[in-house]
Amino acid sequence: MSRATAGVVLLVLASRAAPAQGVAVTVGPQFALASYREVAAGLRYQGTGFGGAASARSGKLSAEVGVVRLTLDPASGSAATSGFTATEVDAWVAYDLATYASVEAGLIRRTADPEFDAQSVGAVRIGARSFYEIGPGATVLFRANYLAAPTFSGGGHASFSIDLGLDLDVRLAGRLHGTAGYTFQRIGRKTNPGGTGEIDAPIQETVARVGLAVGF
Amino acid sequence: MTRHLCAVALVAGFAAPAAGSAQAVQNATLRRAQQAYDNLEYRQVVSLARTALRERLTGAERARAYELLGFTYGALDSILKAVDAFKQVVLIDPERQLDPNRVSPKAYSAFDVALRQVLLVRQLRIDSTSFVGGRGAIPIRFTVTQPARVVTRAIAGAGGGTYVIDSGAWNGQVNLSWPARLANGDPVPAGNYTVVVEARLGQNAFSASQPIRVSHGSVDTLPSLTTLPGYQYLSETEVPPQSWRPLGLAFLYTGGALIGTLGLESSSLGSSSKRELAVVGGAALVTGFVMTLRKPAPRPAAANILYNRLLREQIARRNQDIAKENVARRQQVQLTVVPLSKPSGAGPR
Repeated sequence: MSRATAGVVLLVLASRAAPAQGVAVTVGPQFALASYREVAAGLRYQGTGFGGAASARSGKLSAEVGVVRLTLDPASGSAATSGFTATEVDAWVAYDLATYASVEAGLIRRTADPEFDAQSVGAVRIGARSFYEIGPGATVLFRANYLAAPTFSGGGHASFSIDLGLDLDVRLAGRLHGTAGYTFQRIGRKTNPGGTGEIDAPIQETVARVGLAVGF
Repeated sequence: MTRHLCAVALVAGFAAPAAGSAQAVQNATLRRAQQAYDNLEYRQVVSLARTALRERLTGAERARAYELLGFTYGALDSILKAVDAFKQVVLIDPERQLDPNRVSPKAYSAFDVALRQVLLVRQLRIDSTSFVGGRGAIPIRFTVTQPARVVTRAIAGAGGGTYVIDSGAWNGQVNLSWPARLANGDPVPAGNYTVVVEARLGQNAFSASQPIRVSHGSVDTLPSLTTLPGYQYLSETEVPPQSWRPLGLAFLYTGGALIGTLGLESSSLGSSSKRELAVVGGAALVTGFVMTLRKPAPRPAAANILYNRLLREQIARRNQDIAKENVARRQQVQLTVVPLSKPSGAGPR
């Protein structure tokens, strides 16, 4: 059994046990569109992928996790010659400070395959989000996270990295939810190749995820 | 003419009480005396009534004979003799009462004087009542015809104890209340009791009694409250009026994401693709528009929630009080007192 299958099984088992503990859980698959740029305007990729997301809420405490596997190919006019596959894991834990606002913390881990075709990134998320129920069963959310202590497979550092998100959750019927999420990520990476001086090697990614989820 | 009418009226006044009691007379002499009285033959009434009193009479007949004498002496203006005759009447039948509307003032005043010259305990009454032990009393009332030392007791039947209800100097109408409790505060045991009122004045004594039955029962407990009269729970949610707020919020959030994206794009990387934001932002705007057209979601009504909480707390407090009251009530006894038919036996000693 693959790790992904095991993860899905664990997720389903956990989600079935959650209602007994007074926890509201949603789990579901997602389709993703992505755009990725790195170092210069000419090095850009576009692609699609599949993933899944789960969320849980108990009182003022909530948690989300999302996994997506993207196949990114060089975009039209790109200087890149080959594409790569990126696997991104995002996780948040949030605490509601008010009816429409939370603080949150989490992590991001994106790995590229082949390893050196793009930067693999890991960072800690710290930020806040605002959410509002715009109608019966429909919630819209905006988040802003600072990506702290980023690490890169190719070395370097980033003094300013930020991640913005727009999420939508609509209860379509009964337990079935429709979900959509947008993420804009800007990482101001700087690197010093060969000790010749620090140069900018920024990374910018946008991802849109659309999917369904089942609530428990 | 006028004198004749007065005489007829006077005779009717004396005759009225005697006529009512003539039916049960068995003694022939007494019946003749009654007949003579009805015929206004007063001398013959005196003779016949005295003769009857020397014969064998029942108590009621004897009282009637004396009563005939009392009325006759009253008619003959022999007030002292009338008083003596009425004294015999009330000694035989202490409960005897004359109706002032039906007898002559002379006879009535003679009867009244007779009552005040004899020590009697009359009209002993105990009403039916029911009360929680310790929170009520049995009303006892009677009349003492002369100032006397009066001791009122309750004597339990079948070898039970004797409870002194009152001891004091009384005259006239007396009202007492007996809480029916033992010295330790417990209610008296259930059963039959005889309330005895004994009046003593020098060598004279008189007693009257009334049997009663005391029964025990449980005290009704109070039901718990689920609502307070006049107060109802309010809905804890309210549906806000329909507005453009959902679409406005969708614009706000989507606009925030767009502005953030545009503002944070790296100049060296060029303008990023907007298709991802278009997909999700478009979905948010469509959702906002649909929600604008739909009935808004109910939202918590803070004032109503607070009101319901206060109401629940109030009901809970009331129920706590009721529970305490019920605990006390389960330890209480409901006493029910019923007077029983009176046995014969009251009289002077």
